Amino acid sequence: MKRTLLLLVCLAPVLAYAQGEELENPGTVLAVQDRTYRMSSELWIGIGVAPLDAFYKGLTGQVGYVFHFSDSFAWQVGRGLLSYNIKTGLRNQLETQFGVNPTAFPQLNWIVGSDVMWTPIYGKTSWLNSSVGHFEVFGTLGGSVVNQRIAADVASGSGQTVFRPAVHLGLGARVFTSKSVSFRLDFSNEFVIYKGLESNILLVQLALALNFGGTE
Amino acid sequence: MSVVRTQSATAAAVALLLVLPALSQTPGPQPAPPAQPGKPPAASAPAQPPATAAPAQPGTAAAAPPPAAQPAQGAKPAQGAKPAAAPTGAPAPAPAGAPQQAASEPPPKVDPKIFDEALKDYFDNKQEQAARKLYAFVESTPPTDENYSWAQYFLARCLIDLSLRHGGAVYLAKVAHERSNPQVLPKTLEALKVLTQVPHDEVLIDEQIFGSLDLGFLPDSVSDYANYQQGIVDLRVGNERWAKTHFVKLEEDGVEASRAKFALLVTRLRNAKQVDDQVIDDFLELSKDQKLTLEARNEARLAVARLRYEKKDYEGALKAYDMVQLPSLDPGRATLYLEEAWTRYNLGQLRATIGLLTTLDAPSFRDEFLPDKYILRALVYRDLCQYLPAKRAAKELTRRFSDSLEAIREREDLTQDFRLRRAANSHGSTKRAARFLDSLNLETEQLNRHAGGFGDRLYKHLQKVYDLAHAESERIYQQRLRDAVREEADKLLRADEQVRLMEYEVGLKLYERVKRGAKLAQPEKEIQLTSAQLAFKFTGEYWNDELRSYRVSIPSRCIEEGAQ
Repeated sequence: MKRTLLLLVCLAPVLAYAQGEELENPGTVLAVQDRTYRMSSELWIGIGVAPLDAFYKGLTGQVGYVFHFSDSFAWQVGRGLLSYNIKTGLRNQLETQFGVNPTAFPQLNWIVGSDVMWTPIYGKTSWLNSSVGHFEVFGTLGGSVVNQRIAADVASGSGQTVFRPAVHLGLGARVFTSKSVSFRLDFSNEFVIYKGLESNILLVQLALALNFGGTE
Repeated sequence: MSVVRTQSATAAAVALLLVLPALSQTPGPQPAPPAQPGKPPAASAPAQPPATAAPAQPGTAAAAPPPAAQPAQGAKPAQGAKPAAAPTGAPAPAPAGAPQQAASEPPPKVDPKIFDEALKDYFDNKQEQAARKLYAFVESTPPTDENYSWAQYFLARCLIDLSLRHGGAVYLAKVAHERSNPQVLPKTLEALKVLTQVPHDEVLIDEQIFGSLDLGFLPDSVSDYANYQQGIVDLRVGNERWAKTHFVKLEEDGVEASRAKFALLVTRLRNAKQVDDQVIDDFLELSKDQKLTLEARNEARLAVARLRYEKKDYEGALKAYDMVQLPSLDPGRATLYLEEAWTRYNLGQLRATIGLLTTLDAPSFRDEFLPDKYILRALVYRDLCQYLPAKRAAKELTRRFSDSLEAIREREDLTQDFRLRRAANSHGSTKRAARFLDSLNLETEQLNRHAGGFGDRLYKHLQKVYDLAHAESERIYQQRLRDAVREEADKLLRADEQVRLMEYEVGLKLYERVKRGAKLAQPEKEIQLTSAQLAFKFTGEYWNDELRSYRVSIPSRCIEEGAQ
């Protein structure tokens, strides 16, 4: 009983303060604005790199189409990537000094896929206190088909081209420059699924996105 | 208690009249110097003395008998030069110890060739040297000389290029007054017209030049402007009929014609006992006139809004306020928000009113003199039965303006009161006078930087010109300031009185007994966001793009009617 009373005595000033504050500064203020940039049908084209593999670095070109159901949810209907692979110094060394057959190195050829896109963050930022820029941050999750060349027999140096399924997981940001033009920076990873030979393909990409039919 | 917004049709008209001269001057963001002139065309070229038909070249100086002060033959005339290296008879700067003496001495005779050299310097972008030579030429040449007006004109251009606009305006005004060379006059008037876009001597340029020009001979480029100015002068003295005789001469599609319409409408409004719909429609039409500047179109929209407000057409007034277009990230004007807030208050949109009052707390408007703001905030809180905030809002006015109120009560010199002075300087003719005075101060500093380059004679002469202008503009400014601070003080006193009434009323309400069975009124339904809208929670950080978007959620604490 004494403890309860003591607790009440302690809490009373806090409650009184909270009530006083509410009485003196009632209400909350929101800045309510129309969303300046809204996406509808998006066609994008991007260039990027696949930087992870030790034997090659992929220079990628990718195109895609996204249909935005709402400001926060979209379906990346299709995307297709083509990789131009550049040998690393290590691979050159292996080929020239150790006689490894060039076809023995696995490498990415192309990827196609489709994802859902979730955009939970839309915001604006101030540039040098003189202009306001708008951006959004989105995540993607979907499936892909990866076309790779793999080493069929490393010992003999023979390779073959295979199709493998992959789970695509990505994070990206978009900066709007106008109602119809925006730029995307995407970081994504293809988790290539193959029994016992799972692998990752990390992709970093910068893309120009054109928006058609967005509301004013 | 009923607290009314202290705005009447007359007040609206006066407010519009205050902005009228500003409209007539088409203020530009950048005090652009006049366009760099090409060399005068052959038809209008200054008459050249036969021996000096071409601009003086280094070698040609030898052809004429060299005056005593001429540098060695073949020396490049004043290339990058110090004043002491002035060629061909330009008066050498006097020794530092004897500036007064130098200024009071009769002007030395100079070779007429100095005019050509000065022109060459001018077109070579050596304005300081050109100005010194042109002044020497003007001083020593009779006004009947063919090149006299050209010399004055180019001296003015040199000074304007060196940011000494008032000095330039004085010489342009001389050309316009003397009118000794009809070829120089159009260019002079065009240059003067450009100068009206920045703070300038209104008496010298607007009244004595454009207000009194003989309009018969003017070129098209300035005749409209001169007609407009003369019409405005007539309107200011209340002679609408004479003004119309000038305005009818304006080109129908010209900018001045639109401005003249605006001026006439404002005058009619001032004289009208009742505002009729036709005036509102005329203003509305003017607000769509693309020939007017955005600022002028916005003024027309504000006029529509104010007139509709006076006619208690609050919805219509709101529509007119919404039509006001602001450039991207421009905070706009405090009066715009305050007037819109009053309109919304009269429509019963209490939360939207508080939103606009939140806007007025932004740093962009923190220095604005808006006593009404506190009254309106107190009124809104009172209507929501939020009596403590209402009382606090009312007290805020007396707290914030305590020094000014004290100064008024003690009958101190109100022009020395910081807040009242700033309020007076923020609009109308006082603002223009203050801006001109500031520009004179800046130009005086600028003049001192050119002391060496100009030489003693020109420097001393310009000092006199600026000292005179400064004294006169200071006198005009102080005169306007005295009247303006009195108006602001009246406004503050009226607001203070209303606030005291409000405090009393709220005090009574605060301690009113709540009847048995009383319950809080039903909360107003919150307006839900649409899918196209976003809400940024306001935490005290103001973004210019949000200033018109604040929405306040505040509960009413009023007791429902019918309680026992």
